[in-house]
Amino acid sequence: MARSERHGARGGAAIRTGRSRGGRRSAPRSWQERLANAAGWLVLLIAVGLVLVPLVFMFIASFMPSRDIMRMPFSWWPDSLFLDNFWQAIRGNDGKFLFPRAVFNSVLVSGSVAITTVLFATLAGYGLTKLKFRGSGIVFLLILSTLMIPFETVMIPLYVVVTDMGLQDSYPGLIIPFLLSAFGVFLMRQSLLSFPDELIDASRIDGASEIGIFFRIVVPNMLPVMAVLAVLTFEGQWDNLIWPLLVVQSPELKTMPLYVVSFMDEKSTNEGAMVAVAALASIPMLVIFLSLSRFFLRGANVFSAGKE
Amino acid sequence: MKSELVPAIIWFLKFGAAFAQVEVVYWTHEDPNRTSLEERLITEFEAANPDIVVTRVTNPADQLAQLMLTAFAANRGPDIFNMDISNQFPYIVNERVAPVDAEAAGFGSAENLLDAYLPNMLDPVVHEGEIYGLPLELTNWTIFVNMNVFRDAGLDPLTDYPTTWEEMMEVADQLTIRDGDIITRRGFDFRYPWYLNFVVPMVEQLGGQLVGDDGVSGAVGDEAWLQVLSYFREWGPSGRNLGAPTYANARALFNFDNNDIGMMESGQYQIARIGIDNPGFEPGEGWMIIPFPQWENAVADVAEPYYGHYWMVNAQSNAAKQDAAWRFIGYLTQHADEYFERVGVLQATQELVDSETFRNHPYSDVFMSDLAKANVIYYAEDAPRMQQLLQDAIEAVLLQNREPADVLLTLREGIERTLRGEY
Amino acid sequence: MVTRRSKPRITVATRRALWGWVFVLPALAYFAIFSFYPIFNAVVLSFHSKSVLSLRPPVFIGWRNYTDLLGSAQFWNSWKATGLFTVGTAVPLVILSLLLATLIVSRLRLQRFFQMALYSPAVIPGVVAAAVWLLLLDPRGIANQWVNFVLGMTGIDHRWLASPEMVRISTILVYLWGKLGFFTIIFIAGLGSIPNSVREAARVDGATAWQLYRWITLPLLRPTTVLVSIMATILCMRTFSTQYLFTQAGAPREPINVVTLGIYTTAIRDHQLGLASAMSIILLLVMFALAVVQFRVSREAP
Repeated sequence: MARSERHGARGGAAIRTGRSRGGRRSAPRSWQERLANAAGWLVLLIAVGLVLVPLVFMFIASFMPSRDIMRMPFSWWPDSLFLDNFWQAIRGNDGKFLFPRAVFNSVLVSGSVAITTVLFATLAGYGLTKLKFRGSGIVFLLILSTLMIPFETVMIPLYVVVTDMGLQDSYPGLIIPFLLSAFGVFLMRQSLLSFPDELIDASRIDGASEIGIFFRIVVPNMLPVMAVLAVLTFEGQWDNLIWPLLVVQSPELKTMPLYVVSFMDEKSTNEGAMVAVAALASIPMLVIFLSLSRFFLRGANVFSAGKE
Repeated sequence: MKSELVPAIIWFLKFGAAFAQVEVVYWTHEDPNRTSLEERLITEFEAANPDIVVTRVTNPADQLAQLMLTAFAANRGPDIFNMDISNQFPYIVNERVAPVDAEAAGFGSAENLLDAYLPNMLDPVVHEGEIYGLPLELTNWTIFVNMNVFRDAGLDPLTDYPTTWEEMMEVADQLTIRDGDIITRRGFDFRYPWYLNFVVPMVEQLGGQLVGDDGVSGAVGDEAWLQVLSYFREWGPSGRNLGAPTYANARALFNFDNNDIGMMESGQYQIARIGIDNPGFEPGEGWMIIPFPQWENAVADVAEPYYGHYWMVNAQSNAAKQDAAWRFIGYLTQHADEYFERVGVLQATQELVDSETFRNHPYSDVFMSDLAKANVIYYAEDAPRMQQLLQDAIEAVLLQNREPADVLLTLREGIERTLRGEY
Repeated sequence: MVTRRSKPRITVATRRALWGWVFVLPALAYFAIFSFYPIFNAVVLSFHSKSVLSLRPPVFIGWRNYTDLLGSAQFWNSWKATGLFTVGTAVPLVILSLLLATLIVSRLRLQRFFQMALYSPAVIPGVVAAAVWLLLLDPRGIANQWVNFVLGMTGIDHRWLASPEMVRISTILVYLWGKLGFFTIIFIAGLGSIPNSVREAARVDGATAWQLYRWITLPLLRPTTVLVSIMATILCMRTFSTQYLFTQAGAPREPINVVTLGIYTTAIRDHQLGLASAMSIILLLVMFALAVVQFRVSREAP
């Protein structure tokens, strides 16, 4: 319905994404429209500016000694490139240089969770939409309802389950409780609703198995949305503080957030090291985000497709 | 055949010996000085006891309580651990820790054990007639003074230091530097958020109590509490603006002598840390220690309470591990002098306190005299909740400028609900 | 004549339905173990008293946890904190992200830049965001300096982390900063799905840009708006790390003692599992009710 009707009409300040097809506007703009346009630019630039200030601060301050960070007034130009903060950030408060290990742990855990979530959510989404069975509606609602469960509700019982399996202080213990997310199922289901049935039926007639159809027809076409889900899941897990806080006991198993928190303990106010760690902790995600952004923005269309 | 048997037997013995080894896991909080000392002691102990292996794990202090809780909740706690008594007390009450095996620990008997330590220092870990822990550290706080800041403000640290709370407010004000409202140098800062440590003695000096003797009434002694609450109200941004909990913790700044804090509260262990962080900052010329101030109208001479970290053994560890654990702990307690000199923590044994080392340590007399006036910190299963209530009360007067009378009512109700076991 | 025995054959539809179950099974199994079982556990536990450290089995106490909570000032205070935060955050979140999306979509250039820039805070781990904001909101930090500059004052401490009103505003600010980009992108996608033919028709009829927006775009955007507001509400009610990290850093607890923080504290600091479970179940019920209400309201209006 939505996308197929985009005729790319010309003229006027029609709302559409992407460049206007076919060139210039037919009517000259009134001064009100120009003013509104300028105001719009102003608002956007201010908004983006404000939003980016903390990030810029973080990166600049990581090159300044703690004294200068808290100096009043704050000078945006660092006196010199002070690299000691990064050294301390990588070295860690305990001097064990566990920073690379923390990054590795986070990548491993978040990556595994992203992969399994995308896989199982897509499977579930496909099952719910294209393989009609009685009760699929109820199953979907059930899964959706878990979205409302705050993690704190299940935190302790979950911890007991995980330790009964002997998984505390281990990678599986960090990964397994997050193998899937209800949000993922929701996302995949929504986007699969508008997946053309003809393609699937055609393959069925050709005699392909359901699994074959899934992996050879559905998945390749759903890659943008899967990328969105992968990025969101990765991000969400990278960010996860409270579960590792419970489960991790050895310093070698710490994930990024735990590592960062160790710089925030009450006994030290080493602002320099703190922002340096913050900056370093943000870089991997920023890199991933920037490189996948194309997919990401395209895939965001899924939020508007096929409302029930 | 025989020639093959011998190596087989040797191999079997080695393998069997490994089997017979007992591993003991020891969790403790981070402290670089203590780490190097204990790692050495572990090596010595393992050499003397080849059947025991000690694995030492450190964690940041403020996360240790939670980690310990979740580990024990899953029945996988370490064999030996230490935390401060307020966090450790629930473990005693819930029978998660084993009574001290005085013999394995090398004390011979329980009476010898009690005699070895200063009177009352083991009280917090005595429960239903049994002793449940051995002290790693017994601490009380006094006031550390940065003499350079005094001189910078035109005061003489040796004569102008405050002895009463009224003087404290004046002196702190003279030492404070502000840029408009924003404080860049504080004269004195309380040790937030350990309200049980510093608020309770201020109230007790005036005859008040946190919990009444009947165990049911809370915030006893209206006048005492109102005086203390009003004092904090005046201390805060709506009064004389001398400091607030949201500024950087004084204890993290003091050692560096950066002209940002004049006085603060801390324990003897701070001295060793100053030595590491800033060797040029010397006792007697850079910094000094003074006793906890008293009110002008104080009715009781009370200093900040003492609290302790105790080594305890997991009750769920098997008998062999428990025995090994107590032997190890006993070995550690034999080096109380090194703990004191190198780490600055006081195991409060009679022997140590009587020794030359202790008496020559800077300002140990001040610590001891304050310790003599100190009660034990409030420790009970609801202690964290009580501390939270105190925090809410002090923040209400300090940051929100609320009326002490109203705040006192809220505080009292909170304490009494907690005592009744309600939320 | 050969009579065929009517052997029951699995129909195509049945086989497909079976496959449906197979595909959904991993998800169901997962949610059963890691969501439903713990919730069931929490419900049961909420009727008992259990200390985290105690080796004894939980003691059945019926409704007492619930009555205790409903009669506790601290409990109601935590709901007040959560309520203030949710309303104070979700409403600006929806409005601002809609506004920004509208503006971005009407630009001819830099659309992608704007979207990415706005979204970038979401990519920063929550712990990091809190750490950085704590520095910004420090009395000596940039927040004071800039606000003073804009208002033409000096040396005024706006007490971002000290006064109760300001600390609430601070948590809202941090949360908005982190989530605005995400919802803006959702709105942009929603706006993009509105067919231009409808717009053109209205324009031809002589509608102004504002009328167009008010009477065509917004109503057609309703499904997205509903989605965004439900998601925003749920997320805001579940907020935890901002408040946790702020209070760990010394900010006063009472004004921002949201329900999730209360649950955490009750379990981890006070060791009371039964009570914490009761608090969690209440939270769950309220969130469910709110989602249902929002959903219903969105269906009714024309």
